[in-house]
Parts: sequence; C-alpha cells; structure tokens
Amino acid sequence: MSAFEAAGAKLYILSYDEVDALADFKNAHGTTFTMLSDPDSEIIRAFGILNTTIAEDDHPWYGIPYPGVYVIDGDGIIIEKFFENNFTVRPGPEQLLAVLKGEQVNLVEKNDGDEQVQVEVAFEGDTLPAGISRQIVARFSVPEGMHLYGQPVPEGLVAASIELDGDLEGIVSYTPIAPKTHTLTLSGDGHTLEVYEGDVVLRLPVAQNGRAIEKDDEGRWVRISGKVRWQACDDEKCDVPREHTFSFRLPAAFTVMADMGPGEGRVPSMNGAKHFKKMTERRQRSS
Amino acid sequence: MQIERDTRGSELGPNQYEDAEGYVAPLPAGFGPRSNPLGAFPTGPEVGQPLPDVIALDSDGKSTDLHADRKGQPAILVFTRSAVW
Repeated sequence: MSAFEAAGAKLYILSYDEVDALADFKNAHGTTFTMLSDPDSEIIRAFGILNTTIAEDDHPWYGIPYPGVYVIDGDGIIIEKFFENNFTVRPGPEQLLAVLKGEQVNLVEKNDGDEQVQVEVAFEGDTLPAGISRQIVARFSVPEGMHLYGQPVPEGLVAASIELDGDLEGIVSYTPIAPKTHTLTLSGDGHTLEVYEGDVVLRLPVAQNGRAIEKDDEGRWVRISGKVRWQACDDEKCDVPREHTFSFRLPAAFTVMADMGPGEGRVPSMNGAKHFKKMTERRQRSS
Repeated sequence: MQIERDTRGSELGPNQYEDAEGYVAPLPAGFGPRSNPLGAFPTGPEVGQPLPDVIALDSDGKSTDLHADRKGQPAILVFTRSAVW
C-alpha cells in the first residue's frame, strides 16, 4: 500500500459485496485502500465485465466480474489493464507499480558486454507465491541503425521473445506483453517488416501452482529458467540468432488469501459465513 | 455473449480437482467460482480510453465518486470477486 502511495496513486477495490461485508473485511485486515460496494453488479455490468460463465442458477456467485485491474493516469485515461483467464492467478503489485512509475526489479542477469545488442533479464519481485503472477522482464538495447523482429516474423528469422524451458513443472506463463512494433520498409524491394528499435522491453507474466516448490532448510523455493532469443539486423544483413539463458531461484512465500475461517496458514480474523448466508438469501429472493 | 467454461481438468482424489493449468482446489474445473472462461472474454474499456465513472458506496457506507475522490492522482481500480469468499 505505502508503495502505491509513494507512487502517488490511489487504490480502489470493487466487488459485489454489501457495505457491511466490506466493513468487516476492512476491520479484520486493517486495510487502508478504498473498498467499493456494487451489490447489484451495476458498475460491473456498465464496464461490460459481468462474469457470464457463472450461470444465474449458481446464485451466490452470480454477479461477480471477470477479475481484472485497470491502471489510470491523472487524467483518468486507462494506461494498462490486466485480465487473464485463469482466475486463481492475480497480478502482483510489482506489475501495477511498474506501469505507474517505471521499473522495480530485483534479480537481474546480463549478457556479455561484447555483443551488439545488450540484454538484461530481470524477475520483477523477490518472491513468487502461488496465485500471484509476476513478470520476467527482458530489456534490449539495440544500437542505432539496427532492429529486432517482432511478430509476425519473416520465415527463417527469429523474433525477440522470452521462452521458458519446456520441462519446468508447475510454472505457468500467460500472455506476453510487448510494445507495438513499427513497420520498416526496406529500401530495396519495398518489403515491410515489423521491428523494434532502440530500447525494447518484453514481459512474460508467470505464476506457480504449487507443484514447483522445492524445500530445503532455508525455506520453500521455485526455480524459473528459460532463454531470451533475438536476432539483430540492419537494412542489409542479419546477425545470427542469439540467445541468453536465465535462471531465477525465488522464495515461494505464502499467498494472503481471503480467510473464511480457521485452517492451515490462515488467520481466522473474519468470519465470512454470515455474509455468505445473506448473499445466498438475497440471490434466492431476487430469482 | 455466453462464454464457454473451461472444464478441462482431472480429479486427483477426494476434494482434489486439478484444472488445466495444474491448480488444485476442492471444486471441479468449470464449477461455479472455478469457471474460468475458455478463449476470449470481455475485458471492458480499452487502454487509451477514459475510465468510465465509478460511483459506489465505500466500506463506511459513504458514496464515493472514484474520479472526484482521487483528486487528479493516478489510480488503480481492481475488480475482484468478493471480500467474503
């Protein structure tokens, strides 16, 4: 929270809960962000993000949104949004802060200094709890007069990308985030290419589903490895494709989940049962 | 628009169901709160558009207009399932 305030941003959480449920949550967890109540899902519908995979006959759950996050600038314009189709995974705060104020990255690997294109690969965040997605960030510095390829890539050439090793059990990746390419028209035959020039940042959100955890005396860890690939070209010729491998070992930590009651790793600070009962009754009345 | 539910997954044991991405939970994939959409689903206004007005009661029961309340600051608006479950 203080990190968001330091970035000069306000945080709002909107759900279909009633005011008293939000008040209980706030008291139980001592949260300082603003929680907004949309019990009839009016705002959720106005945004067009009512979750229609939940049938109306699933009453207590009906009315929830597709979970997602909008980041807006001071003028109220949306500068980024995060929606993924696996609802057990949410973006970590690092991803939101990165949008608000540039980068906050921890574990960094660099390629050798003698290559034309400089590449830095970082893991954004210092832990990877189950249920939180965080990003692998690759920053390329492309010398003037050269370019990297984006998608679609011409046959036989290699687009700049972040790829995870195929044998990583329990690590899931999501839609890669890449800047817009620009179209380069070759002087010779007028052929067009989708390219990146200058400084380019590619991001790959990843999460772990619990299967990836290794335990030792010092704690629970997850390992993420893979490679960044690219091929640098100028107007006339291309270098051979390059790659830089990376490997991050991160504390798995624990996820803070909404607590419905006592249980391992949970703090029985809020009893959701009465709110859930009320929610169920309300849906039954309205249908 | 009716979105298809992702029901891919398998039962691992009593109250243990795995979804297509390997997450294990006590409910089968595609059931109620685990009904992840298959393929594309609506994600609301696009990047570059203004965020629509959001006027709702906060946890103190006070009417809050998001755009007025943030007083020109950048903001993050999270749409989440529930504070209860």
